Amino acid sequence: MFDKILIANRGEIAVRVLRACKEMGIRTVGVFSEVDRKALHTRYAEEAYCIGPAPARESYLDIDKVIAVARKSGAQAIHPGYGFLAENPLFADRCEKEGIKLIGPSAYAMRTMGSKTLARKTVQAAGVPVVPGTVEPISTEEEVIRAAKTIGFPVMLKATAGGGGKGLRLVREEPELRSALRMAKSEAKSAFSDDSVYVEKYIENPRHVEIQILGDRHGNHVHLGERECSIQRRHQKVIEESPSVIVTPEMREAMGKVAIEAARAVAYEGAGTCEFLVDTHRDFFFLEMNTRLQVEHPVTEMVTGIDIVKEQIRVAAGEKLSIRQEDVKQTGHAIECRVYAEDPERNFIPCPGRITSLRVPGGPGVRDDSGVYAGFEIPIYYDPIISKLVAWGKDRAEAIGRMKRALAVYVVTGVKTTVPFHIRVMKNRHFIEGNFDTDFIDNVFFREEEARQLANEEVALCTAAIQEHIEERRRAVSRNPGEATGPVSMWKYAARPGIPKIGQVGR
Amino acid sequence: MNYVATIGSREVKISVEDLGGSNYKVSIDGVERVVDAQMVATRLWSVLCGNASFEVDVTRLPGMGEEFEVLINGDCHKFSLMNEQRKAMIRAGGKGAAGKAMITSPMPGKVVKLLVEVGQEVRADQGVVVVEAMKMENELKTALAGKVKETFVEEGDIVEAGAKLLLVE
Repeated sequence: MFDKILIANRGEIAVRVLRACKEMGIRTVGVFSEVDRKALHTRYAEEAYCIGPAPARESYLDIDKVIAVARKSGAQAIHPGYGFLAENPLFADRCEKEGIKLIGPSAYAMRTMGSKTLARKTVQAAGVPVVPGTVEPISTEEEVIRAAKTIGFPVMLKATAGGGGKGLRLVREEPELRSALRMAKSEAKSAFSDDSVYVEKYIENPRHVEIQILGDRHGNHVHLGERECSIQRRHQKVIEESPSVIVTPEMREAMGKVAIEAARAVAYEGAGTCEFLVDTHRDFFFLEMNTRLQVEHPVTEMVTGIDIVKEQIRVAAGEKLSIRQEDVKQTGHAIECRVYAEDPERNFIPCPGRITSLRVPGGPGVRDDSGVYAGFEIPIYYDPIISKLVAWGKDRAEAIGRMKRALAVYVVTGVKTTVPFHIRVMKNRHFIEGNFDTDFIDNVFFREEEARQLANEEVALCTAAIQEHIEERRRAVSRNPGEATGPVSMWKYAARPGIPKIGQVGR
Repeated sequence: MNYVATIGSREVKISVEDLGGSNYKVSIDGVERVVDAQMVATRLWSVLCGNASFEVDVTRLPGMGEEFEVLINGDCHKFSLMNEQRKAMIRAGGKGAAGKAMITSPMPGKVVKLLVEVGQEVRADQGVVVVEAMKMENELKTALAGKVKETFVEEGDIVEAGAKLLLVE
């Protein structure tokens, strides 16, 4: 086992990994940018090294600086978290060259799964069902049109190097194809400096279901069941849960089996996730494999009792997986809400700034994986995630009930957060019934919310009026500060007690 | 003290009277109630209306308007609230500030691009400046058509929430 691990990340995920290391008795090395000197991960790590200015490319994304800290501190392994260097094969290559263990899969697995078309080809060869579409990236307009006709409309145009919902275009009919292709290409070019696209059949009303897998270098692979991630805003996951209401035991077994096949195809080591689209007939299609720890990993931990980060560390150290497939059992239900510093009232615009007060919920079945504290200033440079709030219950209804009461007492002042948005989703009838797809938030939820009557308006008015009343009184006092200013100063008055004070004139 | 709140197109009259301690007599459109309001953290109030207990998060938006956003258990109430006298003064003074629109930054961030220059004609709803925060670029628009009178920032400047960016007249 390692003595010392460097965590090449910041915020809540760095804190999450630090916790696992500390519980395992492994010493920790943190890295921080100049604006993160007071960040929680800098304070939690046993050693912390500044790796440069605030912009990520000059600090958290700078491979040379991270490697230099690993050398200097004597860390034997690096945990990359998610984002930043987590899926960068160049970083994996470099770690290997330096003899530092990267906690994650090989550079080969990252490269294969990082290219959407190569990933499709690889898993298809391993017998994994994929969404019908082109396997090779295509560039000419004619090729795209031909491919779309063969597959049949509606189709999705996707950037080969894509991610995060960029470079995606839905095309329902042929006449829309040319302009959609131009837009997808230009978006892909500016976001990923690569304008190649591929064409896929568009699955109507899909749900996003993913399978967590773990693998070791001894050829053992297990899956930890599914996560449902259909609650997305503009193709970004915002609420995840496990198990999924649409996954039957047979389906789980079948999906788990193909996810393991996909992992075996690239000799996968560590934690990874196979994402699938599930159509209305409950047929599932491979979407992509994420070669890292996912933001939403806690829901799987809560229902299986398996600490995914610790398993990652153990297999990276060369140990065998501590669990076999038959040991994996899902107990109860878990939901995660991603709490972001964004303003739901202003189209989720990021809201950096100082957290003036913070009250985090606790009580039975509630877990808050946070990276902030009261007084912390959320920098403008990075992802605005504040925390992942997770609730576990014996069944879905109890998990929703717990999440609702936890959100209701989650207080963050100083910055706006997405907590109010999550409260509304937890109360939404379609969400409660488990009746939603990946477009639910954008197409159904927001429309229903607009038409809704708000509760407790008079309390809102009372409180605002009282606050304004107190403010006005305070302002009035500072405008008439009595004897301190005016024609006769305090000093003069003190020296010449005979003259009248302001306000006493004429008395 | 008397206030007028405007919620959408509705106007509501509110008066607040100190009863000592943290108690206030508040009347809304003539209906009186006693409210015990304690500020327990910045902008966060514990409010007892009778014995009904609420936690109320009150934000007064930066800038000149008396715009409020009040959060109660996931519901965000938006309204303007103004001292009755002040409101009367503004009404009497006519359009005062009308014809001018100050574009301010809704969040701290970096000015990435000024899309217009001083003297340029702009349409209502035209994007005038791009502010980047947390890897996202946000295009800010002018609500008013007119001419760009003045700019207060340059590209590359780091700005606070509420900072003046430019003036359209």
